[in-house]
Amino acid sequence: MQKSPSIPSRSSTSTQDRSSTAGQTSSTSTGPGSGSVVRRMRRIIAEDAEWSLAIVPLLTELCIQHIVKNFQNNPILKQLLPEHQKKVLNHLSPDLPLAVTANLIDDESYWRRCCTQRWPVCHVDNHGGSWKRMFFELHLENLLKHFIPNTTDPAVILNLLPLCRNYVRAIRVDQFLPPVQLPAPPRGGDQSDSGSEGEMEEPAMDHYQLDNLVAGLSHLEELDLVYGVKDCGMNFEWNLFLFTYRDCHSLAATVKACHTLKIFRLTRSKVDDDKARILIRSLLDHPALEELDLSHNLIGDRGARAAAKLLSHSRLRVLNLANNQVRAPGAHSLAHALGHNSNLISLNLRLNCIEDEGGQALAHALHTNKCLTTLHLGGNELSEPTATLLSQVLTINTTLTSINLSCNHIGLDGGKQLLEGMSDNKTLLEFDLRLSDIAQESEYLIGQALCANREAARQRALNPSHLMSPVTAKGPESPVG
Amino acid sequence: MNPPGSLGVLEEKEEEHLATPILGPSVHSDNPQERIQARRLRIAARLEARRREALGEYLDGKKESEEDQSKSYKQKEESRLKLAKLLLCGTELVTNIQVAADIREIHRRIEEEEIKRQRLEKLENEVKTSQDKFDEITIKWEEGKQRRIPQELWEMLNAQQVHCAGLIEDKNKLISELQQELKMKDDQYVKDLKKQSDDICLLLERMEEQVKNVMKTFRQELQNIEKAFEVERQELLTSNKKKWERALQAHNAKELEYLMNRIKKVEDYEKQLNKQRVWDCEEYNTIKIKLEQDVQILEQQLQQMKATYQLNQEKLEYNFQVLKKRDEESTVIKSQQKRKINRLHDVLNNLRSKYNKQVKQFQEENQSLTLDYKRLVLQFKELQKAMRHFALIDDKQFREIWLMNEEEAKDLINRAFDVDRIINTHHLGLPWMAPNFWFLKNVGPISQRQQKSTTQILEEVLMEAEEEGADQDSSESESYLDLPKQVSARTTRKILMLLCDESGFLIESKLLSLLLPLERSECYLLRLDAVFSALGIENEDDLYKLVNFFLKYQTHHSPSSQEPLDLRAEKEGSLVDGKSQEKEPPPSPKLIHPNDVLKILEAFVMGLRKPRDFWVPVKLLKVVRDDSKDSEYWEALTTVIPATTQNLWDALYTALEKYHLVLTQRAELLIENDSLERQNTELQQLLQQYLDTKINSELQVPPTQVFRVPTK
Repeated sequence: MQKSPSIPSRSSTSTQDRSSTAGQTSSTSTGPGSGSVVRRMRRIIAEDAEWSLAIVPLLTELCIQHIVKNFQNNPILKQLLPEHQKKVLNHLSPDLPLAVTANLIDDESYWRRCCTQRWPVCHVDNHGGSWKRMFFELHLENLLKHFIPNTTDPAVILNLLPLCRNYVRAIRVDQFLPPVQLPAPPRGGDQSDSGSEGEMEEPAMDHYQLDNLVAGLSHLEELDLVYGVKDCGMNFEWNLFLFTYRDCHSLAATVKACHTLKIFRLTRSKVDDDKARILIRSLLDHPALEELDLSHNLIGDRGARAAAKLLSHSRLRVLNLANNQVRAPGAHSLAHALGHNSNLISLNLRLNCIEDEGGQALAHALHTNKCLTTLHLGGNELSEPTATLLSQVLTINTTLTSINLSCNHIGLDGGKQLLEGMSDNKTLLEFDLRLSDIAQESEYLIGQALCANREAARQRALNPSHLMSPVTAKGPESPVG
Repeated sequence: MNPPGSLGVLEEKEEEHLATPILGPSVHSDNPQERIQARRLRIAARLEARRREALGEYLDGKKESEEDQSKSYKQKEESRLKLAKLLLCGTELVTNIQVAADIREIHRRIEEEEIKRQRLEKLENEVKTSQDKFDEITIKWEEGKQRRIPQELWEMLNAQQVHCAGLIEDKNKLISELQQELKMKDDQYVKDLKKQSDDICLLLERMEEQVKNVMKTFRQELQNIEKAFEVERQELLTSNKKKWERALQAHNAKELEYLMNRIKKVEDYEKQLNKQRVWDCEEYNTIKIKLEQDVQILEQQLQQMKATYQLNQEKLEYNFQVLKKRDEESTVIKSQQKRKINRLHDVLNNLRSKYNKQVKQFQEENQSLTLDYKRLVLQFKELQKAMRHFALIDDKQFREIWLMNEEEAKDLINRAFDVDRIINTHHLGLPWMAPNFWFLKNVGPISQRQQKSTTQILEEVLMEAEEEGADQDSSESESYLDLPKQVSARTTRKILMLLCDESGFLIESKLLSLLLPLERSECYLLRLDAVFSALGIENEDDLYKLVNFFLKYQTHHSPSSQEPLDLRAEKEGSLVDGKSQEKEPPPSPKLIHPNDVLKILEAFVMGLRKPRDFWVPVKLLKVVRDDSKDSEYWEALTTVIPATTQNLWDALYTALEKYHLVLTQRAELLIENDSLERQNTELQQLLQQYLDTKINSELQVPPTQVFRVPTK
């Protein structure tokens, strides 16, 4: 009699035990019903070999469960012991409103769960290794990306501000939506019409103004903006990619007011000379700015001149003007600024058109400059005269580690001269000469010299005390091998 | 890598250092040539060592490094280089696409620029030609306005229409061309897009390939490196094992050897032990015999001892009996003594209590006595005070009485003298000389002659000496009244001057500065005063002692220093000892050498100290007045008139009495005479009266005429 119910009951209790403690009580209550049966059940449980006191949940466990369940209404965390805090955090749902969690929870594992739940790919290294920061930065980015002026409520972003102000350090937005034109005027087929209309309606095309947001973020260091629309598909219109003057002015004021800003990138946004000048003027004498990236824009010589002025009026370390329309005069002014500069480490002028004149000016400037380490002059229609001057620079300069002269017309003689310059240089580690019409032999020999330099640099990094002996030891070996 | 090589060189160097002094010529050699040689050799050796160090280190280092570059190291280096190359190539391969895109873009730009330029040119040309045409047409419009004939106008209008149509056609053509180009561009754009997407695909492919490649090669290289390490480890293990086995074999061999040695030794020891046993047995036997003999002797002795023991026992028993009796006696005595002790204790207690009582009593007594004593002391003090007071008063009274008596006596003496004078001058007609006695000048009680203070004497001495300088020996006899007769003033003065000059150190410097402006004699005086106060000379006697001491000292010590004056000094010394001081004391102060002054002073001060010890009693005695001279004084006063004069006076007295008698008689006679004269006069008056009366006149013969009346 006793054995037959015991077996199913044991199996049921054991399964229920495993499922939850609450289930046990329910099972006992939903059992046969009469008191005697309950008593018998209990006795059976007591005789159960697998049953032990350990199965009974601790009061702390129950409390923690309760706290987790009611966390949204009554967040209790700081008062708990550290191990209990951990347990609570492990059981909290990532869907809790930010207003509750933002300033209360610092635990990385919680924010990691939040991130992984929302985004499939998470590069936490891009956000300083902090999951919380990543969560808020991505969240903010997401809001900004989908913000439509005049339609979306700006309070959506401003409400988030007090929650994220201490954690957001970088804003990287690669699209700004223009305001939706509800009374869509019937567009004529011809472009001139639409162009004129676009100009007429320019004030209406302004994007989201960042000033309030940036002023609220006290730790903002990086600002990476693209004024454009992604994935527009067949809805393409020119004025979707319009960086208006008003945008420009407000952005300039925003950047100027943000004293913690270190990196400012404004790429692919059709920034022309005038807008570039407006922006750079606001950046003059900025206390913290270190990197300025205006690549893939429409900046010409006047903008380059403004950038040159910025070089001498700030502590800029990285300047990127790739894929613009800088020509020889602009390169001249940049070279002039570079000659007296002692901050700039990297200069990128890829895909411009500075030609030999500008290249020679830059090479002259490198005679006096003792700071620049990286120089990118790819695709600038340079040719032999620049190469001769650069080879002279190579023999003198000891700071340059990387030069890129790809996609130029340096020619065979220029290649030989560069090879000569390279033979006296011990510091250059990278020298890109692809597709620059030089002889394969000289390119190979330059590659060998670079290898030797790299080896020497590695030795220096490994044991800085024994500088001389390895160099001398390796010196004769490397050309042989 | 390097340290072992350099260490080796260092050791080599040290060896050389050690070797050179032994082999070559020594630096410490006696021959200079050899020493030079040695030094040269040493320098050469050092240079050689240094050169070898530089060269050898390099070579050694290289060798070491090659050796060190074991398989694993080589493998590591290889892998590293290979991977670096792979990475470089991979990135190059990937970036090649970008570079290609760049250059395509550049080419496109150049072409675009060219096409743009052509297009602009074309457009400009077109604009020009069309403008010309348009101008032509507009001119023709002007012409048309002048036309009046409708046919012509129509023709012209037709022509204009044709022209305009042509113009428009041109424009349309251009537009269509441009549109064509635009379409081409659109196509191009689509193509570019495709191309770009292809590029991107390629890029992705390459990247993936690169990643795969890199992963693969990394894994492979890792395996290679691990293999190399494994191989190296195996090699190391085998070599170490071999070494270990070799060492183990050597160890076993050694162990065996030790074992053999041990067995041999054990055998040796066994032999030795046997030998030792035999020898021991023999020795044991001999000792046993000897000991048995000893036992026999000892037994004999034991017997003897037993006999003596018996004897002793009996004696002791007797003694024991005696002692028992004595013990009994002693117990009795003990009890007696105990009783006695008890008694004595009682007595002692009594005595103690008595003693305590006595102590208390005596303490009380003592207290009362001390109180008494204090009281008495107070009383005594008061008494002393009173006594002093009374002494003062007595002194005063004595003095007053003395003065009174003296005055009285003096009066009397004066009267006597007056009388004597009168007698002498008036009666005897002799000149009278007032007698001069010392006591007549005395006023007040005779005291011991006052001790003059040193300063006074000094003053005197100096003053007198100065006076002496003026008139030589005029008042010598008078002025030396108070000087001791042995010393002259000059000598004293000179000695004092010398003392003053030589013992300046006794004077305070402050005083010296004060003395500067003073006169010479005064200066000397003050300085001497200071010196004497320092030396403890306080009164006249001390001063004279000092002077005498100087003189004596000089007389004692001069013979050695002053030969020619010696005799004279001796003579003078003897004379001084005698009484005659009429002669000038020759020991002139020149004889005293200034250097000796300090010695003399020292000796004098030592000598002076002794008598000073009895200072206090002298002071007490001083109070008692010496009255020995008083009676003498008074007697002298009585005998101021000598006996001869008294005799004279007696004789005179008697004569005068007689004279007095005569005179009295005469006086009586005179009185009688007087009375008679008065009677005479009275009678004469009466006579006169009678004469004068009228009766006479009436008388015929007046009596007057009868006689003559004496007018007297």
